[in-house]
Amino acid sequence: MAEKLLEIRDLHAGVEGKEILKGLNLTVGKGEVHVILGPNGSGKSTLMNIIMGHPKYEVTAGTIVFDGEDLKELKTFERARKGLFLSFQTPEEIPGITVENMIRTAKQAISGEKVKIIPFRRKLKAMMEELKMKPEYAERYMNVGFSGGEKKRNEILQLLMLEPKLALLDETDSGLDVDAVQIVSEGVAKFHNDENSCLIITHNTRILEKLKVDRVHVLMNGQIVEEGGPELIDTINSRGFTHILDAQAGK
Amino acid sequence: MTEKKKTYVEDIERTLYDIKDADHSVYKTQSGLTEDIIRDISKRKHDPQWMLDFRLKSLAVYNSLALPTWGPDISELNMDDIVTYVQPDAKMTGDWKEVPTDIKNTFDRLGIPEAEQKQSLAGVGAQYDSEVVYHSIQEDLVKQGVIYTDMETAIREHEDVVKEYFMTLVPPKDHKFAALHGAVWSGGSFVYVPEGVNVEIPLQSYFRLNAAGAGQFEHTLIIVEKNASLHFIEGCSAPKYNVTNLHAGCVELFVKEGARLRYSTIENWSRNMMNLNTKRALVEKDGIIEWVSGSFGSHVSCLYPCSILHGENARCEFTGVTFASKGQNLDTGASVIHAAPHTSANINTRTISKAGGKATYRSAVKVARRAPFAKCSVNCESLMLDNESRSDTLPVMDIEGDEADIGHEAKIGRISDEAIFYLTCRGIDEDEARAMIVRGFVEPIAKELPLEYAVEMNNLVNIELEGTMG
Amino acid sequence: MADTKTFSRIPMRTWRWLGVNESRIPEQLDGTAVKTQQLLVEKGKEDEVILVQRESGQFEIQVHIEDGAKLHLVNAQLVDADRPYTCRVKVFVGKGATFSYTVVEAGASKTATELYVDLAGDDSKADIWGLYFGDGERLIDLNYVIRQGGKRTDANMQVRGALLGKSEKIFRGTLDFLEGGKGSVGRENEEVVLLSPQVRNRSVPIMLSHEDDVDGHHAVAVGRMDEDKLFYLMSRGLDLSEAQRLVVEASFNPVLDRIPEEALKDEIDTYLQRRLSNG
Repeated sequence: MAEKLLEIRDLHAGVEGKEILKGLNLTVGKGEVHVILGPNGSGKSTLMNIIMGHPKYEVTAGTIVFDGEDLKELKTFERARKGLFLSFQTPEEIPGITVENMIRTAKQAISGEKVKIIPFRRKLKAMMEELKMKPEYAERYMNVGFSGGEKKRNEILQLLMLEPKLALLDETDSGLDVDAVQIVSEGVAKFHNDENSCLIITHNTRILEKLKVDRVHVLMNGQIVEEGGPELIDTINSRGFTHILDAQAGK
Repeated sequence: MTEKKKTYVEDIERTLYDIKDADHSVYKTQSGLTEDIIRDISKRKHDPQWMLDFRLKSLAVYNSLALPTWGPDISELNMDDIVTYVQPDAKMTGDWKEVPTDIKNTFDRLGIPEAEQKQSLAGVGAQYDSEVVYHSIQEDLVKQGVIYTDMETAIREHEDVVKEYFMTLVPPKDHKFAALHGAVWSGGSFVYVPEGVNVEIPLQSYFRLNAAGAGQFEHTLIIVEKNASLHFIEGCSAPKYNVTNLHAGCVELFVKEGARLRYSTIENWSRNMMNLNTKRALVEKDGIIEWVSGSFGSHVSCLYPCSILHGENARCEFTGVTFASKGQNLDTGASVIHAAPHTSANINTRTISKAGGKATYRSAVKVARRAPFAKCSVNCESLMLDNESRSDTLPVMDIEGDEADIGHEAKIGRISDEAIFYLTCRGIDEDEARAMIVRGFVEPIAKELPLEYAVEMNNLVNIELEGTMG
Repeated sequence: MADTKTFSRIPMRTWRWLGVNESRIPEQLDGTAVKTQQLLVEKGKEDEVILVQRESGQFEIQVHIEDGAKLHLVNAQLVDADRPYTCRVKVFVGKGATFSYTVVEAGASKTATELYVDLAGDDSKADIWGLYFGDGERLIDLNYVIRQGGKRTDANMQVRGALLGKSEKIFRGTLDFLEGGKGSVGRENEEVVLLSPQVRNRSVPIMLSHEDDVDGHHAVAVGRMDEDKLFYLMSRGLDLSEAQRLVVEASFNPVLDRIPEEALKDEIDTYLQRRLSNG
């Protein structure tokens, strides 16, 4: 296995006293692409939020180690600066902050140095072109009045501009038409290389077409109940999640 | 679960404004309001007879009217304590060098002549206490017939025009403080833009009230003739005293057929000021009035610029921001009267309240029966930065007829935790995330402000986090 | 005009010339006795009460909903077109309790009503759906106030109306977020359709907040009917007045659909339809 980038051990976490993750284990190596499958309400989005340190959730036991450091004491922005990136399932609308301003501020915060405006703009423009975003969107307020597809493309734009070590993609393909999934999928593929990794929640295999999936995890009821190679995706797609439960019951 | 953090936005840095000059006024009326005082002011100002009569009539109206029964509490205002006329030791001049040193220093600190030298203003007026001490205008505008001067000079040199318009739009009987204004007004600016003339660079008047316990009652009268255009900027400030000061100015704007007027105000009075100002615009066919209004200072403010859309297709754009902090009760908003067919208006406001400040958005939209196809859209948003503060929204829509299209939307709340989380997920720390959101909240307004004021407003949003609260 | 007594006030006053600061008791009713009715829903219980007001007069309904209880109150006013009517509804909502209200102001020559809901308990809820219909020379004067004092309270005020003839209406809707009402949300929405050049409509959506941890939103839409909607219906063969009637009906449906008694619903529907076609 490749060098470990993210290692989650026996993670117990929840919200307002209700436990959602119940002893979850998951390891992602450098350069790898992992997929998490699971029925609605199994805790997939919660896991993403907890990795990013959402203040609403409470970790009661277990550890999350990212790039050799325990994340426990790190605030959300510190985690982001270490190289974590979450693509939101429903990206926030933030009036008054333009896309360009937002990304430049974030880039500066993460890199810790002043971002020169001319090269930044050039790169932003190029990336937007690849994602088939109209250039005037750089001057629009963050996600305000964006369609579902535009919001998701804006997430991928940030992914490409901020260049994190690990991309957490929370149903980045949901609610998109075929063409939009294609664009998003190409964007993720463009981001991915040997040095960085992806952890993808999806219901849709089309986003994975341009990627080589290394490992698939099935999350049910707060735990990883089954793991395997990319072939597991087909199994789940044809047989659903119930057979896993049945198999577990049989044990 | 982490404890909720509260956001504190720094107050506006007031040191600059708070520098007081020694009181070198050559003359002050007694405090209070009597016929003798009015006659005295009138005599010192060399009013023509009709103006003296107007003042005395206004005084009678003032005495007959009661205080308004709505709005902020102004009971601490005692007219017997207010000095209504303070004459500075300076004569009106068109040469900056002639302005007395301490007055000049005050305006220098506020950056007033600087902007003029940089050619970012086409004309500048400066009022100190009750009188205008400086007025200038670019030569080429004078050649085109543009008049920009103080009201006293206007009465002398353009008496007919002033007489035709003066307090016809805001008559003294309108409300008690309009009557007060009619009785004791002094200073202010007069602008006349002839037909078809476009004044490309803004004119700016700056009002400074230095004397303690005094009132400032400047009158601004602007006439923009057919197909002409103008941008006028008004700035106000005062140092802080322990006694109540009063500002009851009056602004009358006449926007003729096809004309366009942008009226920008940055009001930054000190926290002992009662700001009871009346502003009104009469807009004729195809004319446009644009208000940009920033209310940051004063102890109590009542300010609701009113646009009367009198001619067909007349239009109003109102953009306002109000920032109420500790000890402030800022009651602001706008009103629009649709009095002709196909008139339209957009009202867009943001208010922020913090540290026990009280911000109220108050508005009235009236569509008269004779104004079919009127269109009006109102959007007001309020942000509360803590729970000691208050934020109220009180709009009224009064619509006659069935051909109007009126939409109103208002929101109230605090900085969303989810928005903070989103920004911190992008590596931005929490303080900066909050600052970004507050700046973003006022951004639609800030971008309408003249540049130097927009910068100043952004500086307000200097955020610090403090302790933890529940 | 004789100076009649004040019936109800808005919580915060504004310019007098707008005439919305207070509503008055219709002259003919001044001095008549108020008929009071009390409703109590005990802890944890659920109840539904249907009131049909056909009689002119002054009424008051006092409602107390104890912790965890639920009440759906239907209040349909079908008073004769030439008779006045006032009604005051005062509601206390306890912890975790829900007040659901469906009100139809369809009859009477002059209507003045007040609704005062006190969301005093934590996690209490108010779900208010109102409908008014004015034609002829009817005057409809409404003042609804929801006070959100408990933590995490949830208020929803949805009002639909149509004005025909020479009718006049004032609707004041207030969401008052009190200090301490943390985590509360409030929504208020009024949609008015104006169908005659002689009508006068006044809308006053008020929001007062003494608490930052709230989420309040109000919206008002006043005006003509959506042209696209009308065009769509007319392209399906309806004439203008049929299309208009359908659009008004559609805007009323979310309110009428909450009435559990089919007979009453039909009666109101028929009544409104008849007046719509006459208007």
